[in-house]
Amino acid sequence: MDTQFLVSFSIIIATFALYIGIAIYNKARATSDFYVASRGVPPVFNGMAIGADWMSAASFIGMAGTIMLLGYDGLAYIMGWTGGYLLLTFLLAPQLRKYGRYTVPEFIGDRFDSHTARVIAAICTIIISFTYSIGQLSGSGVVIGRLFEIDAKLGTMIGVVLIAFYAAFGGMKGITWTQVAQYLVLIIAYLIPVIFMSLQLTNSALPWLSYGELVGKMGELDRELGISEYFAPFTNGTKWQFLALMFTLMCGTAGLPHVIVRFYTVSTMKAARWSGAWALLFIGLLYLSAPAYAAFSRFILMTKIAGSAITDLPAWTKSWIDTGKLQLADGNGDGVLQWSELIISNDIVVMATPEIANLGVFVIGLVAAGAMAAALSTAGGLMISISSSFAHDIFYRVWKPNATEKTRLSVARWSIVIATLFAGLIALNPPGAITQIVAWAFALATGTFFPALVLGVWWKRSNAQGVIAGLLVGLAVTLGYIFAAKYGGFTILGIIDTGAGVFGAAAAFLTNIIVSLATPAPSQKIQEEVLDLRYPEQMVYKDGEVWMNEDGSTKA
Amino acid sequence: MKKIDKAVADQYFREKNRYMVIYFIIWFIVSYGCVLLAEPLSSITIMGGFPFHYFMGAQGAVVSFIILLFINAKVGDMIDKKYGIDEEQNIKLSAGKSVDH
Repeated sequence: MDTQFLVSFSIIIATFALYIGIAIYNKARATSDFYVASRGVPPVFNGMAIGADWMSAASFIGMAGTIMLLGYDGLAYIMGWTGGYLLLTFLLAPQLRKYGRYTVPEFIGDRFDSHTARVIAAICTIIISFTYSIGQLSGSGVVIGRLFEIDAKLGTMIGVVLIAFYAAFGGMKGITWTQVAQYLVLIIAYLIPVIFMSLQLTNSALPWLSYGELVGKMGELDRELGISEYFAPFTNGTKWQFLALMFTLMCGTAGLPHVIVRFYTVSTMKAARWSGAWALLFIGLLYLSAPAYAAFSRFILMTKIAGSAITDLPAWTKSWIDTGKLQLADGNGDGVLQWSELIISNDIVVMATPEIANLGVFVIGLVAAGAMAAALSTAGGLMISISSSFAHDIFYRVWKPNATEKTRLSVARWSIVIATLFAGLIALNPPGAITQIVAWAFALATGTFFPALVLGVWWKRSNAQGVIAGLLVGLAVTLGYIFAAKYGGFTILGIIDTGAGVFGAAAAFLTNIIVSLATPAPSQKIQEEVLDLRYPEQMVYKDGEVWMNEDGSTKA
Repeated sequence: MKKIDKAVADQYFREKNRYMVIYFIIWFIVSYGCVLLAEPLSSITIMGGFPFHYFMGAQGAVVSFIILLFINAKVGDMIDKKYGIDEEQNIKLSAGKSVDH
């Protein structure tokens, strides 16, 4: 344990020194820099930054384990969390970039010309980002706690201090380049164990091509054991739950404020298009590897651990049994550990597999550093979203329009510190599993922002009354369904709390459209601004005519 | 500023939307379509052991999404070029257009 601790600790410290160094180097000075870097981040690097923002503790630590335990049904996460980038890149990102506002509440406030809509959008942003960040903080707590062999609560507190530090003092400018470094650390940390396991089990350095063989073999093993095959569809929920969860994760992706704000850091609509493509390529590297990770872990557990004598288990089992996340009980008392007697929590699969496969201290330490990068990078982006919603959209635009830049910057920093502390406090006793909390945040984004933004960009007739009613109804329906399904046992077509976004989005779209049509159309100016979003920057829509700007001047 | 025919601008918008609809149809087939047909597809095996529905969920859909996004970025550039859009001017224009506070 001592060598392992020293190696893991050194790798984590080295990567942290790198992130903090970058954050200090880029210490933000002006407010505009604080929110969206300098608007000139090249698409490839912006793609990596989106990737790091995007891939959280849930993706890194939780996803492979979820797939391992759910089999085919877990793939809803793979398709949902990647397919949403098409909705985002086609329907929203370039248009929002042309509109040229800093944040989602600012777009909603200006597009619908309503301070009420702005405040509701800011509150929705805070609720979504806050919910999401609780999951990240408790994830970082588990990793830190496990590493130092201290209580996870203490680990969470260390995570809180780190996040508050570089989110508040680096701002997004620090974060953009910090995120690039974090992406590289986390992807390397994820790929190395998968490639090593692939070499061990299939003699191939390309896990993506080689694990199909194991998936087939595991089906045979499952049949011998008389359990449902690993790849059999819909064994853990209905087909409708699969589809609803996938829909919720996709639309939530397109409506998450901290991801959308990334597209304001690029210079043009064209750059937004390319950023979306690069982002999904970088994200896809991890998402294509997670099912391979899951298959290798399950195969090793089934063939090397299950079937061994209960007195003859490897050393790694002890430390994980102590965490309460792994149970090995010789239920039938025959002295041999059966597959059915092995109960593993999905949260430890990624962390424990390098130990199970005996990949060495360096790889184990690297995985811990990658998990920390995933949790902290996403939490950093979330905190910026929360602080800009409060300091910019509520405090400056509505509450104190005369506030000086210095006051606003200090309000932004304090709101980060307070939000991080408060989220950390809840993360000490999280209200659900990490993946479950994260899925709620997606359901809320699907029920609120996705309909509001799509209609705001694509339908000029959508007005302030429509969007206010839509946001409130979507929020109420989504929250209502989550609580009814989780605590009341209420379900429709077997759709549980994680798929709640389907109902929220349907209700919000309908409400927005019906209320908009029942109330007066938005002003001529707003309708023209919406039509203007159909064209690239150089084409300008005005008074029913389209103008081509050839000399770059902004005057008519 | 030069006035251009509204029909040309609308053509630009329609052309982009036509491609977008095609991308979304493919997007729907590789994800939702394959889930809806998961049971019949599971009898087909490819790449040394993958049942086809599993392969689509774990890899096929994701790779299709990535390819579609790069095609969209490239085709978008080509459409811009066809209509004489100059990215240099776009950069200048968006720098001036962003809200300055």
